[in-house]
Amino acid sequence: MTADLSRGAVVSAFLRSFLIQGSWNYHTMLGSGFAFSMLPGLRQLYGSEPAALDASLQRHLEHFNAHPYLAGVALGAALKLEAEGADAETVRRFKLAVRGPLGSLGDALVWAAWLPGVSVLALALYWMGLPGWWAAVLFLGIYNVGHIALRLWGFRVGLTEGRTVGRKLEQANLTGWTERLKAGLALLLGLLVGAVLAGDGGLVASGALWTAAAIAAFLAGLLVGHHAWRPAAATVVAVIGILAAYGMLG
Amino acid sequence: MEIVQLSLLGGLLALDGTSVGQFMFSRPLVAGGLVGWLLGDPASGVAVGAVLELYLLVSFPTGGSRFPEGATATVVAVAASAVTDATGALPLAVAVGLVWGQLAGASVTYMRRLNSRLAPEPGRGHPGPRGIWVPHLRAVLVDFLRGTVVTFLGVLVGRAIVSGMHGPWALSPSDSVGLLLVGGAASVGILLRDVGGFRRRKTLFAAGLALGILGVRFL
Repeated sequence: MTADLSRGAVVSAFLRSFLIQGSWNYHTMLGSGFAFSMLPGLRQLYGSEPAALDASLQRHLEHFNAHPYLAGVALGAALKLEAEGADAETVRRFKLAVRGPLGSLGDALVWAAWLPGVSVLALALYWMGLPGWWAAVLFLGIYNVGHIALRLWGFRVGLTEGRTVGRKLEQANLTGWTERLKAGLALLLGLLVGAVLAGDGGLVASGALWTAAAIAAFLAGLLVGHHAWRPAAATVVAVIGILAAYGMLG
Repeated sequence: MEIVQLSLLGGLLALDGTSVGQFMFSRPLVAGGLVGWLLGDPASGVAVGAVLELYLLVSFPTGGSRFPEGATATVVAVAASAVTDATGALPLAVAVGLVWGQLAGASVTYMRRLNSRLAPEPGRGHPGPRGIWVPHLRAVLVDFLRGTVVTFLGVLVGRAIVSGMHGPWALSPSDSVGLLLVGGAASVGILLRDVGGFRRRKTLFAAGLALGILGVRFL
């Protein structure tokens, strides 16, 4: 535990970090959420000095952005810096230095690998015949073990390492974890495709036309990436609309 | 009364999407089960949620990007599909959900612009602790209200569309599922590209494919 910060203030800051995106905006992004999460610690450190408290709130209101699960790294480290009496410029520079890496590392690890990986696993098991509510519970359970562990680890590392947290992040090799998860996701995507093709009520059961159309959509996604999503979804929505209108007129 | 419950659930799930926690109750697979449970048929809710999950596999709340709101889309789709047992209800409900997800995503963008005006401005005045937590929690409340209202309107519109258009449907149930899976297949292709592409991941993908086919046969 960092000197001058009680366990209560630290726990409160950690719990508040679950709401850090509550007032996300295009101007300061996570800025006001960061100040909101820092509040219990700052109150304890500067509670008897209104001017110092106000100044510390002002510097933590400033523009900040990071992946929400890894924002705790910066939050913990900023609490430690404040508790150590670091000057405003040091705190500002530290936050400026970590916000980019914490955003890109988190996006790659969580949004691009962990979340789709657990989603695809649950969907594949569902298409293989696992009862739907089991698939949903399994998804929530597995996903949140990783989610909470990452948040706890990040906040703890920030709080113990302070301004040298970068070294710890490097040692943790989050990029390596992302790469391994992506490899696993490729396997799981194959699993999902196999299950959707061969499962009860799957594509093969739907007939050659839909299988061929799905393969074409899959290849479009593979070739042009995210640009394929909207046209594919819009085409399906349009076909459904035309069929419904045809049914009404018929 | 049911529409009020659905709308409040939509508001809570919208909060989980970005503002509070991000425990992923808001993912379509889970949200579908919750809405289905509320309507007395969790299995049908998960079935609709699973289709939408397939579509939204590549939709994540990354930074300031605009994304379809999966939670709202799912509440609307499940509520709309429950209107009737007709074959056309599922595809129509999914289509309505996909469109409503886009509109709900746009409402998130507007809310974030509003937050820019309501959030305390750094370097101006003396906000004090109250000037920090009040606007922050007010923004959370605004997000909840936004999700509730967007869901309420979506359920009204979705149910009206499905009950008005589900008449004679040209496709069999299996063809309807086939049509829905076509759009989901694009998401799978996109995701495979994102994790390194087919050429780089072909061995793992092929191994998974074989396991998937065998899994269906033997499980």
